[in-house]
Amino acid sequence: MAKTAKTYCGLAGLCVFILIVCSSIAMAADPSVEVTYRLKWLFNTSVVGDLYAKDYGFFDKAGLSVTIKEGGPERDAIKELELGYAQFGVASADQVIRARSKGAPVVVIAQLFQVNPLQWIYRADTMTVKNISDLKGRTVGITYGGNDETIMRTLLAKENITEQDVKLFSVRYDYTPFYQKKVDIWPVYRNSQGITVGDKLRAEGEEIGFLDPAGFGVKFVANSVVTSEKMLKERPEVVKAFVTALIQAWEASLSPENEQKALKLLEKYDKDTTADVRKRQLALTAGFVKPSPGVRIGTIDLSAWKQTEDIMLKLKQIPEPVKVEKAINSSMMEKSK
Amino acid sequence: MLLKLDNISFKYPNAETHVFEGLSHHIDEPGFHALFGPSGVGKTSFAKILCNEIKAFTGQIHTEDIETILYSYNLERLPGWSNVGDHIAKITPPSHVEKSEVLVECFGIEKCLNRRFAELSLGQQNRVNLLRYLLQDFNVLIMDESLANVDELTREKIILKVKEMFPDIIFLYISHNIVEVSKFCRQILVFRSIPKNPQTLLVKGQDLAMGQTLTKKDHELTMLEIMNAS
Amino acid sequence: MLHRRLYQFLIIYSLGLSGLFLIKYTLNLSNYVIPGPANLWATCREVWLRYFFDTGDTLAVAIIGHITSTCLAIFVGIVGRQATWVGSFVKVAAYNVQAYPIVALAPIIFILLGDGFISRLLIAAMICYFPILLSVLGIMAEPVVDIEHFYRITGRMRWQLEIKIRAFENMNKLITVIAGSATLAMAGTIVAEFIAANAGIGYSIRIALYQSDLSKILIALFLIGLSLSVYQGLLEFSGYLAKKKWEVPKGGIV
Repeated sequence: MAKTAKTYCGLAGLCVFILIVCSSIAMAADPSVEVTYRLKWLFNTSVVGDLYAKDYGFFDKAGLSVTIKEGGPERDAIKELELGYAQFGVASADQVIRARSKGAPVVVIAQLFQVNPLQWIYRADTMTVKNISDLKGRTVGITYGGNDETIMRTLLAKENITEQDVKLFSVRYDYTPFYQKKVDIWPVYRNSQGITVGDKLRAEGEEIGFLDPAGFGVKFVANSVVTSEKMLKERPEVVKAFVTALIQAWEASLSPENEQKALKLLEKYDKDTTADVRKRQLALTAGFVKPSPGVRIGTIDLSAWKQTEDIMLKLKQIPEPVKVEKAINSSMMEKSK
Repeated sequence: MLLKLDNISFKYPNAETHVFEGLSHHIDEPGFHALFGPSGVGKTSFAKILCNEIKAFTGQIHTEDIETILYSYNLERLPGWSNVGDHIAKITPPSHVEKSEVLVECFGIEKCLNRRFAELSLGQQNRVNLLRYLLQDFNVLIMDESLANVDELTREKIILKVKEMFPDIIFLYISHNIVEVSKFCRQILVFRSIPKNPQTLLVKGQDLAMGQTLTKKDHELTMLEIMNAS
Repeated sequence: MLHRRLYQFLIIYSLGLSGLFLIKYTLNLSNYVIPGPANLWATCREVWLRYFFDTGDTLAVAIIGHITSTCLAIFVGIVGRQATWVGSFVKVAAYNVQAYPIVALAPIIFILLGDGFISRLLIAAMICYFPILLSVLGIMAEPVVDIEHFYRITGRMRWQLEIKIRAFENMNKLITVIAGSATLAMAGTIVAEFIAANAGIGYSIRIALYQSDLSKILIALFLIGLSLSVYQGLLEFSGYLAKKKWEVPKGGIV
């Protein structure tokens, strides 16, 4: 009798053990938290760290199952956060400030680009831009409604240059007016189109130069990682895990020893760009995301955010101050150290 | 005047069976000649072959002293941008204006002249349509149910008047009305449905003309003959 | 006709707007995602005049494009109606070319012709051209046997008469297609402006989209819908008048 009872107890114990082992395996294989991350633009070198986090298991290690979705002109990560289609996203500073001024509960949790890669390309053999006043009499390309319009208007306003002094040209997707020399200076992202457009001009024997707004004191914040106030309040551990994994992945992707891994990843996601261009884009992107070894990736530059808000206020893009510091939460970055 | 059809066969494209096969017939004198038979035996196809609207047939058609064969049917319409009177005036050759006036009166369509074709009753529409054909130059006129929906008295009046006014014309009268064809037609080509053989039979009609009378017995005999043939 | 178009549009727009407000207040969404009535009104007061002229600009291009494409489609449809080699070639070409999405061709047009009036006009005309052409081809290639038979068998048929008969008999269909394609002309112009031009309401929508400003887009949509309803209403009314004038009056003398 006692033997039978012992046998039953032993069998029951074995069943419990098997169940525990099986459930542990299942939990480890299937991260429990699923989130969606909406980017600002298509997959290219500017999002190398985001792709690195996904493909090289940074998110998995943090217990997150992340779906990364491409952005585009018709995508707005902030709206998707509020509607619950995404839990994290990438947005430009002007988007964040505009959204905050309309009551959107969006919070910035990391600033990916320490330097805004938006610059203007020009033919250095026909003009130089040592001062903004050098733009007088020139045809300047801007995307009406885009943040390059805001930046250029700020640059011009700083030097009291009016629309009578320069000719503003509405920029589209194709660069034909610039190639045809109808426009003197054209907005580009230095780390993407800046390389390809520059190559074309050099191939024609032309010298190129870039106008960097930061060089003239205009610091307009570019892409940052955002989430919703609700997410931050209700699931801070998920936000922390996400930011930590993301920043680690960005650090790793831009580290020289991981260059080949990063380039292999870009080859997978950005097939339309040549290997040589991707390599140069990666090097330039690293400079914008981590300008010096001492700068930690993701650091939120509060003064730059305040300047961005001031610019938008002066240009009447927002009706009243939004106190942008309220939309910034650096605590996740601090905790992720 | 001769209209001779020799060994005519016809079938619709992709159809397996012929509508009619090896059909021969000849008409050598003017007057009313009927094509009679149930629906689907090929009367209209036969008429369209005669007026060259159907070309995909085998056999031969011989004509002598015949230049123009017209074909009218009962579903035709006049364009909606002019009224009946204007349309008739426009399509009537100057030499036939007088004839037009006589026919309008006989057909009883004076009141229709200022109206739109679409406003007329079916019987009025068919009379107008037939009238405009009669005002053309032709040697043969095929009337495919051209007097459908017209009351019996008016129809009789019209047929007798037409016979009187067009003594040199061959009329091919397609109708399902056995009383009418046996009474007014010179000969009736009875179409029989497949597999009856021969496919057509010819019956002599009473060919009633203006001022003549018809004995009931003769008429009934002709009708009986047609019924037996079909 | 015109007033019916207008109130139908106003009902649809109001329903759409009410639906948006319902979603906004049910889900407690911010003005950034869906603007509230006060926000919408403030934006309206700010931009309506500028957007009104932008819409007028777009509508003018759409109307010119629409008229051009209608004339061209009628011409090609008349040529293509015949069962000749040329007619069949025109028909096949028309069917094949319409398979290319105009949005894909638009950038090429802008590169070749620049971002001015001509590019917008061409795209508007191209977008509404094919539906009209296909309808005209369909109408012109289909004989109205019950009317044409008399003219054909009596040897009176001329090509002008044939076109007249087919156009008259299919007048309602033609008016519907032409009025309906006005929407396509307007949509084409807006798409063209959105893609590359630097004027018109499509261009304003693009700017508003850059700024994620749904209030501006809603106001633009209102003006587009309103102008299109007026244009379509006028087209239908013109068609009605033309038909009435062409058709012989009931029971009367011409």
